[in-house]
Amino acid sequence: MSDSNFAIEVEQLSKLYNLGSTNATLRESIAALFNKTSKKEESFWALKDVSFGVKTGESIGIIGKNGAGKSTLLKILSRITLPTEGRVTINGTVASLLEVGTGFHPELTGRENIYLNGSILGMARKEIQAKFDEIVAFSGIERFLDTPVKRYSSGMYVRLAFAVAAHLEPEILIVDEVLSVGDAEFQRKCLGKMGHVTSSGRTVLFVSHNMEAVRKMCSRTVWLEKGQIKMIGPSSEVIDAYLSELKENAETVRPGERSDREGSGVLRAQEIRFSNPEGTHLQSGKPMKVEIDYRGEGSEKLTCIATLGIHDVNGRRVGTLSTKLTRSLIDLGNGDTLTWEIPRLSLTPGKYFINIFLAHRTEADVIDWLQQAAAFEVMSASFHTESDEVYYEKDIVFIDHSFRVS
Amino acid sequence: MPTKSHVITKDQSLFSFSELTTYKELFWMLAWRDFKIRYAQTFVGLLWAIIQPSFTILILYVVFGRFANVQTGAIPHVVYSTCGVMAWTYFAYVMTNAGSSIISAQAMVKKIYFPRIIIPLSKAVVGFIDMGITAVILIVLMLLFEVPVSGNIIYLPIFILGSIVAALSVGVLLSALTIRYRDFQYVIPFAVQLGLYITPTAYPAEFAIQRLPEWATVLYFLNPMAGIVEGYRWAILGTELPHIMSLWSVASMLVILIAALFYFKRIDGKIADYV
Repeated sequence: MSDSNFAIEVEQLSKLYNLGSTNATLRESIAALFNKTSKKEESFWALKDVSFGVKTGESIGIIGKNGAGKSTLLKILSRITLPTEGRVTINGTVASLLEVGTGFHPELTGRENIYLNGSILGMARKEIQAKFDEIVAFSGIERFLDTPVKRYSSGMYVRLAFAVAAHLEPEILIVDEVLSVGDAEFQRKCLGKMGHVTSSGRTVLFVSHNMEAVRKMCSRTVWLEKGQIKMIGPSSEVIDAYLSELKENAETVRPGERSDREGSGVLRAQEIRFSNPEGTHLQSGKPMKVEIDYRGEGSEKLTCIATLGIHDVNGRRVGTLSTKLTRSLIDLGNGDTLTWEIPRLSLTPGKYFINIFLAHRTEADVIDWLQQAAAFEVMSASFHTESDEVYYEKDIVFIDHSFRVS
Repeated sequence: MPTKSHVITKDQSLFSFSELTTYKELFWMLAWRDFKIRYAQTFVGLLWAIIQPSFTILILYVVFGRFANVQTGAIPHVVYSTCGVMAWTYFAYVMTNAGSSIISAQAMVKKIYFPRIIIPLSKAVVGFIDMGITAVILIVLMLLFEVPVSGNIIYLPIFILGSIVAALSVGVLLSALTIRYRDFQYVIPFAVQLGLYITPTAYPAEFAIQRLPEWATVLYFLNPMAGIVEGYRWAILGTELPHIMSLWSVASMLVILIAALFYFKRIDGKIADYV
């Protein structure tokens, strides 16, 4: 039946979700008993016939657009939800990290939360005791160990949470994009820890939007699309194919028609326009404008956080425009156009993608999140001088500078 | 480590008794967390835990002991009802907190696996703090009114066990029902409010037997706490042995227990989809 060489063996896994029935009230359920034809339930296959194996000691990446089934697959592998069809055979102890800081309680101190979170993640008390000093050192919050975590900054909170998670020692580790949190230095620390885990002979299943991280850490990658495996193979091949499709998609499909989005959908990006004062040809050194038309239900305005991420063709994040960076919120409603203005574009010539993200008050309450929502091309390198097209091809950005001899 | 080698299919239940034992530490951890949050952090928390039963006892005394002049034999009414409150408080606390426990823990339930039933079960521990506080009040009153402790006290653990099982059965059932049908959230406070009066906390169950038609008496005793509260008083104060009708309480408790386990098991794998 199952080969013992496999740490994880997924066979014809499918998961059907019924939309709308999940929050049924008692009244509706009773009504449904008497009225069989009352309402047709909408349902969709979040996963359909997915099969693959992960060998012991192998690191495998899972990529795909929003809504492709990545989270559903992780939830099934982590036993949070059951499949509708198919089976998964797991050989070895598993720890899954779909979020850091699960179960953290704001009233409890850092010390208490280490114990609480550790045991929720499945560590024995003795194990936590043995690793306690190491966890504290990794987190770097020694001084605040006996302070309730509600007084922590969000950075400290995430560091402590990740420190606990990083000290799990399962044979199989299932990781969701927990690394997208925290500052750059902390992210590097996390990636380092992950790299250490993968090289220590453990099996890792890693879901991420960070193509660089997947390429670096995983030998093989699974590309999911609409609940099915679109491609599986060596990471670099799969990622290249994925990125080139994203490029095509971003160029040809209007944002309003895309279905691979996340969020409540109360407001949705309908159209995206790029421009600079001279027209659509974007030039380095010139102002750039991105206009996003939002459509939605109702006339109410929502208080939002809006973010625009810029990626290069390799999927590497180049920069971020966000209301969050200035700690501000915007009021956005149906029919509004959100305009981002860059006074002096500092990107080198080439193709770029944008991700657009809109959330209600906090980043957790996503309204509309579209990855690779659109593509734009920077045509000329007129950053340092008006006419000169000279620039270093490997550079991504221009840096304003001067020099002098003294 | 939490999860050993296993197979996941649609039929595989997420819930098994043998697995529960490996999650013992998490059970105590969650109980400890509740304790910390409720009492250890704030002085007000502890104060509140004393004020609440004190006022309940006072009001029951005024309404039942004074206004209605309920006779409780050789035992002063206030001692009689405090003993009832002691049993009832535990049940009410555990039922309320277990009932809403999974909804309150939804962030956790959506992100990590562990046997979900641990969440409502862990509520059984902290309830003993409230019970202990009422027990202290009872001891003070017994000393004050010179009421001796009955020799039946050795049987008290049986009734304590009964209240744990009763409270958890109702709590687990409510926690599962609340996930499926949010409406049940409103049932819990209502049940607690009603329960204080339809349970013989401040009057003898004998009243129900004497003054209600037989079918209504059966209904009265279908409240699992009806027999248990009488049992507490028999064990501590040496009042009359619970009436034979209390067997209905036991039967009802067992039915609820089986229903709770059955329903919870049925819904267990879908909890993350529902919350």
